[in-house]
Amino acid sequence: MKRSCAAALAATLFAAWLTAAPAAAETLDEILDRHFAAVGGRDKIAAVETARLTGRQQFGPQEAPFTITWKRPSKLRLEFTLQGMTGIQAFDGEQAWMVMPFLGKTDPEAVTGDDFKDMEQQADLIEGSLFNWREKGHTVELVGKEAVEGTEAWKLKLTRKSGDVSYVWLDAEAMLQIKAEGKRKRGDQEMEFESTMGDYKEVGGLMFPHSIEQRPKGAPQGMTITVEKVELGVAIDDEIFRMPAPKPAAAAGGAR
Amino acid sequence: MTLVPRWSGRLAAAVSTLVGALGAGSAPAQVPITSDTFGGLAARAIGPATMSGRIMAIDAVAGDPLTIYVGSASGGIWRSQDGGVTFRPIFDRHTQSIGDLRVDPADPRILWVGTGESRTRNSVSIGDGVYRSSDGGDSWVHLGLAESERIARVLIDPRERDTVYVCATGKLWSAHEERGVFKTTDAGKSWRKVLYVDADTGCSDLAMDPQEPRVLYAGMWSFRRYPDFFRSGGAGSGLWKSTDAGATWQPLTAGLPAAEKGRIAVQVAPSRASRVYALVEAGDGDTALYRSDDAGASFVEVNRSFNIQIRPFYFAAVVVDPVDHDRVYKPGLTLTISTDGGKSFTSPFLGGFGGPHSDHHDLWIDPRAPNRLLLATDGGLYRSENRGGTWIFVKSLPLGQFYKVSVDGQDPYRIYGGLQDNSSWVGPSESWGGIENKDWTSLSGGDGFATFADAADPNFVYTTIQGGRATRVDLTTGDAKDIQPYAGRGEAELRFNWNTPLVASPNDPATIYIGAQMLLRSRDRGESWERISPDLTTNDPRRQRQKQSGGLSIDNSTAENNTTIYTLAESPLDPREIWVGTDDGLLQRTLDGGATWTELSKGLAGVTPGAWISRVVASRHAAGTVYVTVDDHRRGDMRPLVFRSRDFGATFESLATPELEGYAWVIAEDTVSPDLLFLGTEWGLWISLDGGAQWARFEGGIPRRVAVHDLALQPRAGALVVATHGRSLYVLDDLTPLRELSAAVMARDVALLPSRPAEQRLRATIGSWFGGNDEFVGPNPPYEASIVYWLKKRHLFGDLKVEIRGADGELLATLPGGKRVGLNRVGWPMRLKPPKVPPASSVLFGGFEGPRLPEGRYEVRLIKGQETLTGHLDLVADARNPHSEEDRRLKQATEQRLYRGIERLAYVGDGLVALRDAARERASKLSGGARQRLGQLAADAETLRASFVMGGDGYIGGDVKLRERLGDLYGNVLGFEGRPSPSQLARLELLDEEVVAVERRFATLLERDLAAAAALLAKAKLDPIVLPTVDEWRARDQVGGATSPSPREIRQLLARYPGLPTLAADLAAAWPR
Repeated sequence: MKRSCAAALAATLFAAWLTAAPAAAETLDEILDRHFAAVGGRDKIAAVETARLTGRQQFGPQEAPFTITWKRPSKLRLEFTLQGMTGIQAFDGEQAWMVMPFLGKTDPEAVTGDDFKDMEQQADLIEGSLFNWREKGHTVELVGKEAVEGTEAWKLKLTRKSGDVSYVWLDAEAMLQIKAEGKRKRGDQEMEFESTMGDYKEVGGLMFPHSIEQRPKGAPQGMTITVEKVELGVAIDDEIFRMPAPKPAAAAGGAR
Repeated sequence: MTLVPRWSGRLAAAVSTLVGALGAGSAPAQVPITSDTFGGLAARAIGPATMSGRIMAIDAVAGDPLTIYVGSASGGIWRSQDGGVTFRPIFDRHTQSIGDLRVDPADPRILWVGTGESRTRNSVSIGDGVYRSSDGGDSWVHLGLAESERIARVLIDPRERDTVYVCATGKLWSAHEERGVFKTTDAGKSWRKVLYVDADTGCSDLAMDPQEPRVLYAGMWSFRRYPDFFRSGGAGSGLWKSTDAGATWQPLTAGLPAAEKGRIAVQVAPSRASRVYALVEAGDGDTALYRSDDAGASFVEVNRSFNIQIRPFYFAAVVVDPVDHDRVYKPGLTLTISTDGGKSFTSPFLGGFGGPHSDHHDLWIDPRAPNRLLLATDGGLYRSENRGGTWIFVKSLPLGQFYKVSVDGQDPYRIYGGLQDNSSWVGPSESWGGIENKDWTSLSGGDGFATFADAADPNFVYTTIQGGRATRVDLTTGDAKDIQPYAGRGEAELRFNWNTPLVASPNDPATIYIGAQMLLRSRDRGESWERISPDLTTNDPRRQRQKQSGGLSIDNSTAENNTTIYTLAESPLDPREIWVGTDDGLLQRTLDGGATWTELSKGLAGVTPGAWISRVVASRHAAGTVYVTVDDHRRGDMRPLVFRSRDFGATFESLATPELEGYAWVIAEDTVSPDLLFLGTEWGLWISLDGGAQWARFEGGIPRRVAVHDLALQPRAGALVVATHGRSLYVLDDLTPLRELSAAVMARDVALLPSRPAEQRLRATIGSWFGGNDEFVGPNPPYEASIVYWLKKRHLFGDLKVEIRGADGELLATLPGGKRVGLNRVGWPMRLKPPKVPPASSVLFGGFEGPRLPEGRYEVRLIKGQETLTGHLDLVADARNPHSEEDRRLKQATEQRLYRGIERLAYVGDGLVALRDAARERASKLSGGARQRLGQLAADAETLRASFVMGGDGYIGGDVKLRERLGDLYGNVLGFEGRPSPSQLARLELLDEEVVAVERRFATLLERDLAAAAALLAKAKLDPIVLPTVDEWRARDQVGGATSPSPREIRQLLARYPGLPTLAADLAAAWPR
């Protein structure tokens, strides 16, 4: 998005040389600099204290509205509604928990194991793993430039602190993320996924994707997420991230 | 230019308004096309996996019983991470022909692959060198030896793991120096040829001393295949040994036959380095197994049983048990086992003939549990847990090697085809619950080829076995009648190709043709045949060597039959115009039904005389237009050769472009657009949008370099069926977007393409049941309308979505759209969103689906940022729908009433929950009588809610109430395509009354009790309790989806409920970071 004048000038001056040796042109740090500049700037990202994302999730045959609430540094709450029932998954920075009322069980339950690790990782919602990856203990490598779905993109390899490996593609022109691929462990099983993102819109000076599709790798169909609203800096009570005590029996019906 | 779609009649009008949307104007110059032009269009992989296909190499991770790698002859590499229950292809960007693969024993993430099968049968594919993965097969690096064409063995030095040896068999159809034993010491960056005999002699096997990796044994093999002949054996063949890691080699001769040798397999017993087994092909029936007990210094012959001797070029393989040096397995025509060091062999199979498919090429023995075997056969992968006594067939590998494919006119149409060593089959293009292995029926035996249904009666199916053995099968009785033509009195023996053309007339379903050296026609379903040509081949006796073919081991299987007719076609526009192509390079044409013939191959510029005419297709669109593909790979010329004539063959133009790769098997013309052409080569499916001026590879859902041997078009379905030789069948279900993708469209930044009328397909909810994950199930065509649009550039900023609106402009669906370059397809299930459902403690399964929308016209809006493109979509009934329009209307009206009933109840339910919770909350802030009053209000709300909503888990824990009764009836009416029953209609009336009663009680609660409470709240200065109006409630986010879950999907959904957190996790995980 916002390539600096200097960068543009350099690109023009060295155009011939770049054509001769394109691979040597950029380093990972330069690419990440351009990426975060395109998103809106590292300072702006670091300044986001809270966020709320609302939208619709279409998975297989179903559609469910969702809300994701986030508070720095790593508080996260996901809610989605199906047939009037709301499932919750949340992380307060230390403990992860969920409420899954769809088969009559409305008590909160602790989330452990790989799901916990997932939640912990997802709680880095606004910055993401590429942001200050060294400090976060991840490893990022520049794989190279390649066409993905017909669009030139930078391919980055991200090895998270947990050892999970994923690949990220940044549109070579706009420098925004357009695709990711990786593996996630669920219990003993490993799931390979691919996701694409787009419909970027500016909110509070930052570019957010408003459409994401994710599918098991190679599958013809998957899940789509349409973000309808991104709110930054909203007041959020810490309490909503904390695991509540079990509800009294009388309140069980019709959780909403 | 005009964009009126090319389907006919009333439908043309249906899309005429779109023309405006797309814009008119002068046709722009040619727009370059690439694979990305086809964007997100993807073919449907329908299998079958029931017969699977030839497998060449197996390796697995010792000590990790879950990870298995399988390399197939022409279907790529597959990985299992669950012990062989499911497999996933991991080599789809590369050649699909695998010679060998090896897991680095010290680091199972490292894989080495030698491509190019070395079992050099007539139909074998080609490889292009060595590949390596360092991430368990997720990604691959090509490491050279690109001209080696086929590799029999890859061995990793267990001590110096960057040292790898490659046993390169080399080119089959021509002499070449890139063959022999190659060595790398830098993990494939560079290679050194360490053992080489001559340009005709390649490596057939390589073995390494288990204790001393510097000791190597190599079988060298002189061989060559010609269009009409195969030679195994020659002066170059021999067994060699190196004791210095390949630096120097010594021939091993003591005890081995002195005369000319053929293919050699060699293995060292893993448990005893001095024990070496060598299977040596020799002339005069002297092929035998030899054994050395002094590390190759001398050999003694130990066995020459049938399974040892048979077909060395195809079966030369020996596998020694990892712990018992006397236990030797011989994969071959069958599997035999010796327990006495090779002296005697017996079959391990229990239960007689019930064992695995014949023709075995590799055997993997678990080094930690030698009872566990994996066997690679011509018919797929088998697993044994008891040393080969009994076997489990792996039913999840769709590796079918199709030669020919056809479709019939039924709805759903059936697909017919013949496969290498795996019979001919018929199966459905669509089946209840998905296309399963059990949906396929074998029609013959042996190798299967041309197979098609009688156009007048699809219960009669014609099929061919190798060498022209044609049969006619009656599907009602299972009877098969031999209908092959025989030579008459005084007539020369009929010569039939291995893959004999048997073809139906496109003009007269009662006429069929078969090609021998002359063309024969039958008008009585093959009962009798008339000759309608002289010998149309060169009849060159030098190309008639089948009976001598094989070299040291005669191999007379009809595989090398030559000077035969290989392809033939009657013009769809004129039954008197018939085209014939032969396997010795002649292109023959008659314009008078066979009375006179003209040979036209001289017009095929650049073709070496004698090259196979692989396909001739007479155009259905233009008289005199004919397409011809030529395939000369059997003489080492791998160029794609494609031609068209527009003047009945007087002149030809080449349609080959530099983009094409792989020798050409088949070309097909679209049934609607004359500019839309499909081409199958050894390396992929290619599409031209402009009559062959440009080609681009179609990669959507199809392996990039899969061999495409045949194509069939189904006009009613507008579908292309792709027959691959190694990955079974693919279907491109709706060719409409390709028909509409003109240069004018591609010149635009964004264009909404016309959709064809969308059929509201009947959808069976029966027919599938539980099962494991161990079987391949092909998906059905999507039960949805397709909306397709073109993007010149990836969409990145702002909205991109598709809206569907009713005639009155009402928004019915908002669908997220694809963003990629090229074509993007969005599916819409043609239903209302599911009803809002009263909240409860369990899901309402009946309420997961919305009712079908009425047939008729709908508006489509493609919204891209600030731009909106408008088109429309016509919904039409399934032509098979047996229900009258009146019955369908009644069904729709009934669904609507139930839908509204559920939503009315949902409004009350939501209101009661809100009322209850608000009253409780207020009560907690009050005291005395007010507190009690509000508490009572909450209790009354809950009592009313509980009166029509089930508690418990919704599975076995609750009692059924009005909500569930309504949902149940709604689901039942929805689930049947015709008239609701009187019982259902009566039930609806009763339930409707109950809904009204609930609404009355709700109204009373609001008007009397809430009003009374309001005064108390006002007095206490607490916020009043305000419930949403119906409109406000309606405007809330719609819940539930608009698509239609099948029973399988519902099961999957149900299976996911215990793990519903995964939904949330998916959601967050998808967020870019």
